[in-house]
Amino acid sequence: MLSNFDFGVILTSLPYLFGQGMVFTLSLTVMAAVGGTVIGTLIALARLSGIPGLWHLAKAYVELCRSVPFVLVIFWFYFLVPYIGAYAIGSKTPIQVGAFSSALITFTAFEAASFAEIMRAGIQSIPKGQTAAAQALGMTYWQTMTSVILPQAFRNMPPLLLTQKIILFQDTSLVYVLSLTDFMGAPSKIAQRDGRLVEMYLFAAVVYFTICFLASFLVRRLQGRFAVIR
Amino acid sequence: MTATPMPETAVTTPIADADHAPEDAGLRPGGLVYGAPAAAPGETMIAIDGISKWYGDFQVLTNCTTKVAKGEFVVVCGPSGSGKSTLIKCVNALEPFQKGQITVAGTKVIDKSTNLPKLRSRVGMVFQHFELFPHLSITDNLTIAQRKVLGRSAEDAKKRGLDLLARVGLSAHADKFPGQLSGGQQQRVAIARALAMNPVVMLFDEPTSALDPEMVGEVLDVMVELAKEGMTMMVVTHEMGFARKVADRVIFMDRGEIVEDARKEDFFGSPRSERAQTFLSKILQHRRYGDPIDTAALSQPSRIRILPMPSR
Ligand SMILES: Nc1ncnc2c1ncn2[C@@H]1O[C@H](COP(=O)(O)OP(=O)(O)OP(=O)(O)O)[C@@H](O)[C@H]1O
Ligand SMILES: [Mg+2]
Repeated sequence: MLSNFDFGVILTSLPYLFGQGMVFTLSLTVMAAVGGTVIGTLIALARLSGIPGLWHLAKAYVELCRSVPFVLVIFWFYFLVPYIGAYAIGSKTPIQVGAFSSALITFTAFEAASFAEIMRAGIQSIPKGQTAAAQALGMTYWQTMTSVILPQAFRNMPPLLLTQKIILFQDTSLVYVLSLTDFMGAPSKIAQRDGRLVEMYLFAAVVYFTICFLASFLVRRLQGRFAVIR
Repeated sequence: MTATPMPETAVTTPIADADHAPEDAGLRPGGLVYGAPAAAPGETMIAIDGISKWYGDFQVLTNCTTKVAKGEFVVVCGPSGSGKSTLIKCVNALEPFQKGQITVAGTKVIDKSTNLPKLRSRVGMVFQHFELFPHLSITDNLTIAQRKVLGRSAEDAKKRGLDLLARVGLSAHADKFPGQLSGGQQQRVAIARALAMNPVVMLFDEPTSALDPEMVGEVLDVMVELAKEGMTMMVVTHEMGFARKVADRVIFMDRGEIVEDARKEDFFGSPRSERAQTFLSKILQHRRYGDPIDTAALSQPSRIRILPMPSR
């Protein structure tokens, strides 16, 4: 039965699948992960700051990101941003935003929102006495956060944190709605060109599964290794 | 209590050397914050002036007034929930208060021009649960604030930190992490960490309440040593034997008020208020905090090695 299938097509398209597709997927994952971590931490700090305007803004942002379908935003953002950008700089024609940049901005923005929630929980799990001790030594709010609270919060989080990144890696496949050549888009293009849908989608699935499975396995191995002894 | 006179050329760093830290040279004339008058020896170090504090509708502190002179050892006691912790946390503004004023070494705590981190850096605080930073080694615990807050170089901070670690008898543990030490050891590190900042005042909030009874002594020993060296100390504790031995004055609080503020002889001899009498008889009966450290035990040699003061 499998004789109807031609798995050779996978072999011949490997350079394209990985050289373009996987490189795209990994770049998007890594860049969005880094950006999301930094911005997400800032949002979490803003949310915990208790400063009226800032606190509300951060909360509203996180709630917004949680309440809209992600695919819609990717799509919407891709078509809308050129016009918003044009409006912002007062240009008559839509500004050029590459598909990759647009996807990157959207993923970073959403990753930041999810990360902010994880981070907020992480920060709140650190006993209040630690803040008091740091402040009693004369540390400013910022010093307390960067030297005492965040390092502990980060160390308690790796399992959740890495799991979140694995999900991000999977989610980047949603850029197919913009017809981008990620590791989902590349096989799908070959599949349609050569009429090898089953082979290509099967192969994509196996690769996604293998990477995520290995990563999850690593996360479990790492768990406990980082946790701060109390 | 009078400060032990310090020789001009100290060989070892004394635990309390607020008067000798080099960076004090520029700071001293202005008190903790430039421009404020400094406290001269024997003068008031902490002035708590009619402070009141509310949590919403609940009044935690009611018109509390007291003074702590330089070199004085003041014990704060009272029933649970009477506001002892809140009161000493007001001294370094860890807790804000709505009425009254506190002045530490000439610097007003509630004042727009006061640099709070700077004020706090000179007011050492020791907590019931130690609050060492669990992600940092003992050495890093001792040096981090020196470097970040006082801007000392890594070497200077390390030298000062290890010096103090030796003084509390824990040199062997410099590279360990807090989780690897016993409670008593952690609390001694916490005291060293506070002292590393060259504080002019030390605040203690039940420093031995979270300890197993056999570890209480080693922490109290360090505090006694500190008091001998003339450190100004305000100590919340239930160790009445310790208070009786070491304190100059006792403040008794109940329901957010300072009910009694007396020399220790008067307080233990004949507390004036009924509330203080009830409290004393209860605490002496209960022995909740292990055997109270009695006077005899304290006059015995230290169980831990504290290097002697340089003398000649
Ligand atoms: N953040 C807070 N919000 C509301 N009430 C508080 C808060 N912190 C403390 N209190 C209340 O203020 C009162 C005084 O608390 P405080 O911790 O100063 O008492 P304490 O004398 O130190 O008691 P203990 O011996 O139990 O440590 C208590 O009744 C407590 O419940
Ligand atoms: Mg208390």
